[in-house]
Amino acid sequence: MTTKKLNRIYAALVAAAILILAAGFIQQSIHRQNSIPVLNEGSADATSPENKPKLIMGTSPDYPPYESVDALHGGEIVGLDIDIAKYITSRLGYEMEIESMDFNGLIAALQTGRVDFVMSGMSATEERKQNVDFSSIYYVARNTIVSKSNSPYASTESLKGKRVGAQLGSTQDTFAESLQDVQLKKLNRIPDLVQELKTGRVDAVILEDAVAVEYTSANPDLVHHFIPAAGQEDGYAIAFPKQSPLVDDFNRVLGEISENGKLDDMIKQWFATEEEEAGPLKQLNLDFGMLGQYAPYMLRGIYVTLLFTFVSALFGFVWGTILSLFKISGIMPLQWFATAYTSVFRGTPLLLQLFLIYYATPQLFRYDISPLLAAGLAFGLNSAAYLSETIRGGIMAVDRGQREAAMALGIPYRTMMVSIIFPQALRTILPALVNECVALLKESSLVSVIGVQDLMRRANVVQSIEFRALEALLFVGVIYYVLVLVLTSLAHLLERRLRRSD
Amino acid sequence: MINVTDLTKTFGKNQVLKGITTTVERGEVVALIGPSGSGKSTFLRCLNLLETPTSGSIVIDGTVITDKGTDITKARQHIGMVFQHFHLFPHMTVIDNITFAPRKVKRMPMEEARSKAKELLVRVGLADKADSYPSRLSGGQKQRVAIARSLAMEPDIMLFDEPTSALDPEMVKEVLAVIRGLADSGMTMLIVTHEMRFARDAASTVYFLDGGRLVERSEPASFFAKPQSERAIKFLEQVL
Repeated sequence: MTTKKLNRIYAALVAAAILILAAGFIQQSIHRQNSIPVLNEGSADATSPENKPKLIMGTSPDYPPYESVDALHGGEIVGLDIDIAKYITSRLGYEMEIESMDFNGLIAALQTGRVDFVMSGMSATEERKQNVDFSSIYYVARNTIVSKSNSPYASTESLKGKRVGAQLGSTQDTFAESLQDVQLKKLNRIPDLVQELKTGRVDAVILEDAVAVEYTSANPDLVHHFIPAAGQEDGYAIAFPKQSPLVDDFNRVLGEISENGKLDDMIKQWFATEEEEAGPLKQLNLDFGMLGQYAPYMLRGIYVTLLFTFVSALFGFVWGTILSLFKISGIMPLQWFATAYTSVFRGTPLLLQLFLIYYATPQLFRYDISPLLAAGLAFGLNSAAYLSETIRGGIMAVDRGQREAAMALGIPYRTMMVSIIFPQALRTILPALVNECVALLKESSLVSVIGVQDLMRRANVVQSIEFRALEALLFVGVIYYVLVLVLTSLAHLLERRLRRSD
Repeated sequence: MINVTDLTKTFGKNQVLKGITTTVERGEVVALIGPSGSGKSTFLRCLNLLETPTSGSIVIDGTVITDKGTDITKARQHIGMVFQHFHLFPHMTVIDNITFAPRKVKRMPMEEARSKAKELLVRVGLADKADSYPSRLSGGQKQRVAIARSLAMEPDIMLFDEPTSALDPEMVKEVLAVIRGLADSGMTMLIVTHEMRFARDAASTVYFLDGGRLVERSEPASFFAKPQSERAIKFLEQVL
């Protein structure tokens, strides 16, 4: 292959990268704008929409009817909490935006100033009160025991010696902790808990009433039993960062709407419409029919997953190349830096790096990093650590004589590396690079934990709306597999092209 | 043209060059011969600083290339080098191998570089191979392309490091013919070689190196007819 052709391919690659990046940012900003464009209809003191101050609400939208993703209609986040939040913020003259994330990340998001308040079916527990401030309680949920209808557990006493599941960090978690003689299993997400129950890995799950009703009506093989309320009330409240001036304003509006019945109306609206008839019991516990309506929503995740994979692979490759050059530079500080870098990024979990970058960046740099950018950065930085070793190996594998021939011709170092050494190294390491891309594509499913709407996240969303665990997972599993197949065959073509000179 | 003064080179504990002093005039063709390990190749590689001398100085056309401040990349542009194992760039066609350095280093326009490369290919007898990849060429053809690649930079000096040692016997001739043509054109050249007949016929001076020293330096006719040193006599007995 001639250098000219190679150059053209590089140029095309770089151009494509820039385009896709740009498209990503635009798409993201659009996504941010219409993620929750709350209009302040009915607000008496509404100023013009453009210069209204903005509040960002954090929520974990896998908890219908409080909050869930309306995957059938544009993927907006809807629910009782959302309606209440919309009402209050518009009454106070704010515009509202929703940032979705894992339930466990919500407190951290408040503390790092990533969100202004949190509504996510969150109880005002004593532990949480040490870190955040709460509004007054807007809804008191009762705990229920959900179990299989063929081996039901009706009371807390009957749970003795059994395996009991609860959502990590939830009120039900705290309640389950108070149970004597039970073996606790805590998971992040309710759909996962329900699946654990159905497969018999736990005997019962503690869920709050509204959610339990949803699950038992969608899954005829499950039943729920109310647990008598224990004296003190642990209700849901809106969480704010410590000393937030918003608390009083929110409490004022909350007081108003609970007095004039508006709050009750909203509660009724959400809890009434969501009750469905229990379907007939099916023999085979898989129902792919329901996927059809969600397919467009889930398929849109392909773009996000691919964009993310591409951005992080490109970034990882460029940064990895620079690091590999540091390693062979013979300049001690650079070599030391690159080695230390590789050691740290290979030596700590990727998920941890992702969380650190996502949550620490706003605090350290006063920059509100978007989930997609944070994920691209984390994966790119991590991938660079691995790739720098691969690339270094590739460069070392190029015959020493190539360097000498270039040097003898008076070719400057940089030109030599770019046009002579690197293309040859690239050919050697191409299979390793493809492996890295495939790994990135699959690992990209990790980003769903910070709320990036990738394939995995969308599957989780569908899971939590439909109260069914397996179908959506199988569906995106097939998509991932097809994507990897396409990627590897593209790489195969590229490899054949590069081998033309042999 | 080339002034070498008290040049030494040490690899670890092993002193390969033990103080070499010599002068090469413009247009001189020097054949470097001697037993293996005598330091011939190391000496040659010091001349374009592929090896950094341990001590001593090398002055080429008035430029002290052993000075720290010398732009060695620039100096190398005037010194061509041909290697035993060719070292063509395998991912480029023959013509791209030849035009790469003139275009990238001398900023020569594409068209000019290509037409010059084609002339050079005619000169080395490979006009029809311009668009082949090196993997398609025989050893002799590769070496001739490598010579053309060096010549494309229009060097003042050419260094040959055992240019025919890696070739099958029937290809040695075609390469030597090209080198001899170059010598006839007045190019200043230093050639490390084991081809004694070629050294005798084509060189204007023979350097006999042994144990890191320049033991003998004379015209080929007198060297081959009447070597002065004990070691040269022994060496010639073995190779002739």
